[in-house]
Amino acid sequence: MAEIVESGGGNKKGDGKVRAKKMSTRVDMTPMVDLGFLLITFFMLATTLSKPTSMTLTVPDKDEEKKEIETEPLKASKVLTVFLGRNDDVFLLDGIASDDDKAPDELKKVRFGPELRQGIFVSQKRINDQFEKDEEGNLPFVVVIKPTEVSTYKNVVDILDEMAITKTKRYAMVDFLSESEKKLLGDRIKPEPAVK
Amino acid sequence: MAKVRPKKHPPTTDMTAMTDVAFLLLTFFIMTATFKSQEAAEIDTPSSISAIKVPDDDILMISIGTEGEVFFGVDAQPDRIRMLENIAESKGLTFTDAQKQKFSYQASFGFPLAQLKGWLDLPGPEMGLVKQPGIPTDSTGVSELADWVYAARKANSQLRIAIKGDNSAKFPTFKNVLANLQSQNINKFNLVTDSEAPPAGWRSDSE
Repeated sequence: MAEIVESGGGNKKGDGKVRAKKMSTRVDMTPMVDLGFLLITFFMLATTLSKPTSMTLTVPDKDEEKKEIETEPLKASKVLTVFLGRNDDVFLLDGIASDDDKAPDELKKVRFGPELRQGIFVSQKRINDQFEKDEEGNLPFVVVIKPTEVSTYKNVVDILDEMAITKTKRYAMVDFLSESEKKLLGDRIKPEPAVK
Repeated sequence: MAKVRPKKHPPTTDMTAMTDVAFLLLTFFIMTATFKSQEAAEIDTPSSISAIKVPDDDILMISIGTEGEVFFGVDAQPDRIRMLENIAESKGLTFTDAQKQKFSYQASFGFPLAQLKGWLDLPGPEMGLVKQPGIPTDSTGVSELADWVYAARKANSQLRIAIKGDNSAKFPTFKNVLANLQSQNINKFNLVTDSEAPPAGWRSDSE
């Protein structure tokens, strides 16, 4: 492979003069290219081209949170409650409290993706049309996200991402489930029974 | 009549152009390379439409593994040593220089304080093979994560907190991590995600 290609070497003539052999200056580049591509392959595989992105999450200060709950109770009619269940199920409770009689019928099970987004948009539109903006100019629509024990980290990130997509400015993540909510969700927030 | 036979040459291709391209690409990849660092565990992050890049330096990375193990890592090596010294001081432990040195090579780790020394005494190649149990975070029982965060922030006050969780990590672990951070009065952090294209027609408000 790595030989130097000779061409036009001097052919001996009988005139007795010793001539320097004419060597071609062409170099076989094949090994060099091989090496080049080998290194390219290595660097391509070893590089992380897509840098991870990050979403900022700000949680309320522990003390402030308590104050807020005491001073400003949210009206259930302005709230979309999102429960994150197991197996990536999401339960939506649109505009009614969990201890309402109609709650079991109103509880809607959706999947992540278009179905959930549609659910949020419908509720967002209904609530924003129905109520006035508050004194500070905030839209009335509020989402309360309730992750349960059986939901995963991915669910949490997905729902926060959904908030960004639907441009819901006011949302709260609450990991406390009230008794009525526990009763409402029942088995749906229990760990899955082992498959036999 | 004798036929005139052309002189047989071995077929040669001019490789110069190809070499040029190859080395151009090589140069590009060498220049842009940022190497993947050795992590304590493989973590598959969820994706989001967020376009904010994770900053390169002054990062405190808390990783949550598939089984809910919690790993802890600081990016700069001097910070790692100072962090270890801080926590050793507050917990009344002592580490040898060799242990500190070894600790500073670890991008992330997940051991309870009690087991950390034993792990650092292992010869280098074996350290990567040990399965790491994760840092205790239980908010009701023993939790060391808050102490680590405190030690790290004492070592470098500029640290930004990033949380990198696995897709299948359960929510309670994440909640415990949050509780640990909130106990240190840290209320703002970054969730590390993969990037994902926003849905068609979606536009950021800031544009």
